[in-house]
Amino acid sequence: MNPMNTAAQPQQRQFNPYTENGGTILAIAGVDFSVIAGDTRQSEGYNIQTRYAPKVFRLTDRAVLAVNGFAADGNMFVKKVKQRLEWYRHAHAKDMPLHAIARLIQTMLYGRRFFPYYVYNILGGIEDDGSGAVYSFDPVGSYERETCRAAGAAQSLVQPFLDNQIYFKNQQPAPGTAHPAHLPLPHVLSLVIDSFTGATERHIEVGDGLEIYVVLAKGRDLSGLEGFAGLQEVSSRSDGERIFVIRRELKKD
Amino acid sequence: MNTFVNQFSTSSALSVIKKAQAVTDDDEEFSDAAWGSEAGFGSLAKGVPSFSVPAVQDPTSFLRLHTDDHADPNCRIKIQHGTTTLAFRFQGGVIVAVDSRATAGSYIASGTVKKVIEINPYLLGTMAGGAADCQYWETYLGIQCRLHELRNRERISVAAASKYLSNLVYGYKGMGLSMGTMICGWDKTGPAVFYVDSDGSRLKGDLFSVGSGSTFAYGVLDQGYRWDLTDEEAQELGRRSIYAAGHRDAFSGNTCNLYHVKEDGWRFIGNYDITKMHYDGPGDVPGSTKVAYGYDVRVEGRTSSNPPVAAAA
Amino acid sequence: MSIMEYNGGSVIAMVGKGCVAIGSDLRLGNQALTVATNFEKVFPVTDRIYLGMSGLATDVATLREQFRFRVNMYQIKEERDIEPEAFAHLVSSTLYERRFGPYFIEPVIGGLWKTQGGEYKPYIAAADLIGCLNFAKDFVVAGTASEKLFGVAEGLWEPDLEPEDLFETISQTLMNGVDRDAYSGWGAIIHIVTPDKVVTRTLKGRMD
Repeated sequence: MNPMNTAAQPQQRQFNPYTENGGTILAIAGVDFSVIAGDTRQSEGYNIQTRYAPKVFRLTDRAVLAVNGFAADGNMFVKKVKQRLEWYRHAHAKDMPLHAIARLIQTMLYGRRFFPYYVYNILGGIEDDGSGAVYSFDPVGSYERETCRAAGAAQSLVQPFLDNQIYFKNQQPAPGTAHPAHLPLPHVLSLVIDSFTGATERHIEVGDGLEIYVVLAKGRDLSGLEGFAGLQEVSSRSDGERIFVIRRELKKD
Repeated sequence: MNTFVNQFSTSSALSVIKKAQAVTDDDEEFSDAAWGSEAGFGSLAKGVPSFSVPAVQDPTSFLRLHTDDHADPNCRIKIQHGTTTLAFRFQGGVIVAVDSRATAGSYIASGTVKKVIEINPYLLGTMAGGAADCQYWETYLGIQCRLHELRNRERISVAAASKYLSNLVYGYKGMGLSMGTMICGWDKTGPAVFYVDSDGSRLKGDLFSVGSGSTFAYGVLDQGYRWDLTDEEAQELGRRSIYAAGHRDAFSGNTCNLYHVKEDGWRFIGNYDITKMHYDGPGDVPGSTKVAYGYDVRVEGRTSSNPPVAAAA
Repeated sequence: MSIMEYNGGSVIAMVGKGCVAIGSDLRLGNQALTVATNFEKVFPVTDRIYLGMSGLATDVATLREQFRFRVNMYQIKEERDIEPEAFAHLVSSTLYERRFGPYFIEPVIGGLWKTQGGEYKPYIAAADLIGCLNFAKDFVVAGTASEKLFGVAEGLWEPDLEPEDLFETISQTLMNGVDRDAYSGWGAIIHIVTPDKVVTRTLKGRMD
């Protein structure tokens, strides 16, 4: 083509501030604990940008937020939520309750209805009544309290497995027995690890590392956590709700 | 459901956005309310909520580029679609029945969605289209209805509440909101149902169904509807209609949530698994014939092509 | 709209200890509308080979007859049953014949092959719509619920499952996988192929 002619061709440009950074997050609520996990790979297309980019963040001593989708939006969103929670602390001299954080996240996401944060959020933690809770959000703020939720690149791999293993979907209890409504912590942790190793095996955007946050209700002992390699406490006090992180390796190929 | 976006765009929408932009400058700036007890719903308590918009020529087409999954199935931000909701008025009040499925493309994102939004003890709203749009604006409507009660010392009428919502979403017309809702309740005029959508339609009527499964629901509903239905018959009709939609429509299903609005406000009747209704019926509930809804379950053994299980084995 | 999602449906095959399992859902749809709930997508090829096909229903029906014809011709000419590996290549080459105007199906093959010593060993394979074969040692999936099936199978499957345990594993995988897919489900059917018999079971699945 004549190079002089190219200028005459109509050209169209579009503003595209979004990209997809892969990865998967997952949260499961127990009776008196909550587990929130995410892998640590950050990718764009077929390229790995980093093998360690956390997607799960401690908000308060009883709330943990996992973000997935567009990493830049996710990091900015977490920053803004943390800011609002600090303001709340200054005004009320206490941490915001979990259900209120959930509503706050809804209004913050919906405030960007016409320029959305491209982020799928899962909020996990302990409710005021001491029960474990998980809230899941869509990018513009619709939310729901659930027992278990996977989001991100491998959500369609992980969620049906969890339906089967957590909600006992398509399983019949033995005569005279019932399926448990909540599972014990060690069982939940092994399901989380199995979910991520499975997703790592079959999805290219999942892998490298796994961060599992465990939030324990006030007064709950550490049973189920002892003996876990790489366990680290990240709570600010030991007499309230407590938060622990378990860091594990996932396959890096 | 999103046709209005294609029909109306740019110029009028742009001016609305400019106005919204002028009212507030992004969510960077918080009023003193953010520091006080209004922190959660801070921006709502003031009255006019504000939204940030991208600094581009045409924000509406920007949003459509990234969120509208009819225009582009590969777009990144998926907004939930696919639903069956219904509501009808009869002698004994209003029946509201919905399914509980949310899909993103072919993936069933959730089977436990609450598609009936409890605006206040006398008002219900249903959810079809954008889940966040319905949740947010119907919560907001709840705030405004309460303020109306405090100002006027009487409950808001269903007509007024639905018109408030209709006028509100009309202000955002062409900007990409997606909602098809039924505002149901009981006021001085008796039971009332209004259909309100994000195109700006507001219709008063006896019987509505909204969503991808609405045609299936209408089929059962129209066939069984009478004004003088008993409470039990009406509840059964709502359940049966949602079952029909859940069975035939790929984007509806999982469970049915049933509500009944009477003079003293709404009451949650129950949650019914659609597969359980197929194989066993809704169980021992008022209005139930205790017969399975599923066609092959009902006709088993009645034809040679569909022999009883024992005979086939 | 993808042509592979026009009718919906999914198939899966798994290896066990001296056995294989293969199954499909029963839905036939017209996009969102469910038209039939008795549309099987797995067909017997020989006494020990089953072929599953997901994708466009008209092509599923056409290819079922096409493969029946070609397998019969093979049997007449060779005077013996076709072995799974040969059948997999027959499927592959049949699909590649239409390289530039393909049949819109993804095949899944499950069967047993006879070793020199006379014992039977499990064999599974899958291919894309133009016949690129994938010989897996564990499980293969295809159809609108393939991603979901991969996820559950990866969590549930283990090596050397006995026929009854393999049946439970493939059933749970299929049912929980299709329950997260709008275009698959409405019941399922499973065939467990062992050296001396084939057990076929219809599963009561979610009907929505």
